[in-house]
Amino acid sequence: MRKIPVIIDCDPGHDDAIALIIAFGSGVLDVKAVTTCAGNQTPDKTLNNALRVLSFIEKQPTVAQGALVPIMRELMIAPEVHGDSGLDGPELPPPAFEPSTLNATELILQILNTSDEKITLIPTGPLTNIGILLASHPEAKEKIERIILMGGAAIGGNWTPGAEFNILVDPEAADIVFKSGVPIVMCGLDVTHKAMIFRDETEKFRQIGNKTGKLVAELLDFFDLFHRREGFGFEGAPLHDPCAVAYAIDPSLFTAVDYFVEVETKGALTLGATVVDFKHKKGQKKNVTVVLDLDRKKFIDLMYTSVKNLV
Amino acid sequence: MRIPVIIDCDTGVDDAVALVCALASDKLDIRAITVVSGNQTLDKTSANTLNLVDFLGYTVKISKGADKPLNRELETAEGVHGSCGIGGVSLPKARRHFYEKNAVDTIAEEALAAKGELEIIAVGPLTNIALAILAHPFLKESIKRITLMGGSIDGGNHTPAAEFNIFVDPEAAQVVFNSGIPIVMVGLEVTEKAYLTKEEIQSLRLWTASDGTNKVLKALLENMLEICTMFGYKGAVMHDPLALCFVLDESLIKTKAMNIQIETQGEITRGKTVADRYGVTHKKPNAEVGIEMDRIRFVELVKELFDKYSE
Repeated sequence: MRKIPVIIDCDPGHDDAIALIIAFGSGVLDVKAVTTCAGNQTPDKTLNNALRVLSFIEKQPTVAQGALVPIMRELMIAPEVHGDSGLDGPELPPPAFEPSTLNATELILQILNTSDEKITLIPTGPLTNIGILLASHPEAKEKIERIILMGGAAIGGNWTPGAEFNILVDPEAADIVFKSGVPIVMCGLDVTHKAMIFRDETEKFRQIGNKTGKLVAELLDFFDLFHRREGFGFEGAPLHDPCAVAYAIDPSLFTAVDYFVEVETKGALTLGATVVDFKHKKGQKKNVTVVLDLDRKKFIDLMYTSVKNLV
Repeated sequence: MRIPVIIDCDTGVDDAVALVCALASDKLDIRAITVVSGNQTLDKTSANTLNLVDFLGYTVKISKGADKPLNRELETAEGVHGSCGIGGVSLPKARRHFYEKNAVDTIAEEALAAKGELEIIAVGPLTNIALAILAHPFLKESIKRITLMGGSIDGGNHTPAAEFNIFVDPEAAQVVFNSGIPIVMVGLEVTEKAYLTKEEIQSLRLWTASDGTNKVLKALLENMLEICTMFGYKGAVMHDPLALCFVLDESLIKTKAMNIQIETQGEITRGKTVADRYGVTHKKPNAEVGIEMDRIRFVELVKELFDKYSE
């Protein structure tokens, strides 16, 4: 079977790390490159984390660092969720390989320009790199199959009442991406808060017996803690970023509806809100496939099989 | 003891239905009806209110309020309520006059008289209520509760993000939600479920009665049904009557305490009622927000109230 060519743009981050693991373990995706952005932690940490996770699972794709800060705002990070390193919890050895000398935008552009087939972009962090790419090189859109992103929410938010973290960090970048005309699949909180993993399931990953399984379990041990705090009241940990990768692997696991979606870049309370036109009030062309639900059991199975395939 | 209330409305087709229900109920002591601009301009909403109440044979005092929002130009909902505001239903001109005091002073007067027991049922933009609170700060301690039709936590009806009443005067809504007065927000999550099907409407006694009152009530409901069907609803949606009926029977709506703030700056989110679902702002809840409603019992209550006009 022909593998689906993808580029993953991420800010690891516990759930980004698991997303990378699934991407490489599924056997369905051809990961052309991994690029990193600032978000869950500062840009040097997210780059280092990506390199460390990939080294640990013994994969060495081309990795490039992207923008150091959002398009026009101060960087906001999430140490509350991911710790000081951005990947607190498991012990990870230092990277076994070096990043590319190209930056993320240059690398993505080079891959798009030299590819015979269209490529799917999977951003799981703030959309700074992708926004810059699309704004600076609009012609590159033709080589992008679609953008399957983790970010936003049709309803509510997690970092503020109105916004999800990835979009809030760089709303201007998100606005560029959502207006770009490239087909977008939005795996927002609507689905990711249903993509829960529970503790007994985490134990199954630990018991696989390979080192990747142990890593995933230890990532989840740490990630789980934040989401048990009172406000969320979750019973498990929401696997945000793995949803975007899983959608690329097998969209049939998900339920989604096409809507016109815009990003608020001006609001005092709603900065970074992805405003979904449920009732088609604006009469605009539907630009986003909004993912709303998933078959959680099959999703966990997919994750399990992918982890098992690795070292 | 009957509940002393002021009904603040912008009559409006569903406002008219709410007034019909309120006047028929023996649970309310309607101290005054105050009128605001919204669904139509103030001259139309106030005339509609006066004519309707007079036509139904009641003498409750009716005060005119604000003819425009606090900081903005008025936007009406002519597309929904028609150029006269009550969808072409014609009422004889009232033989009586408006109360000499304006809405703001009437609210203050009645709050004083009711000694802390006065409740407000606000089914239009919140301009009058906000102005009353600003002009008479003692109201913050002396109004028992404000039950309002407005807002939505899952997306709007006037814009993708905002419900009409809050959209029209977001600044007023922000004043009211942060006034400290207990608030029940009856928003679109519950009001859009509060519909009467064609069959249910045709099972009302007035359907077979033929006197003048019933003719008018029938025309109101038929008009509502027609408009709502045009917008794709399953029946005549009773936004405002649901808020009114909640005060008559609180068990109709299940509520949840949340902190609600109003977006007043957003470019595409003006008037969004931003709900803090996960406690991320650490602000105390300021509203009981309707999240579920019992449609069958709501329909029974509306039928019971309407049928009183055919006894």
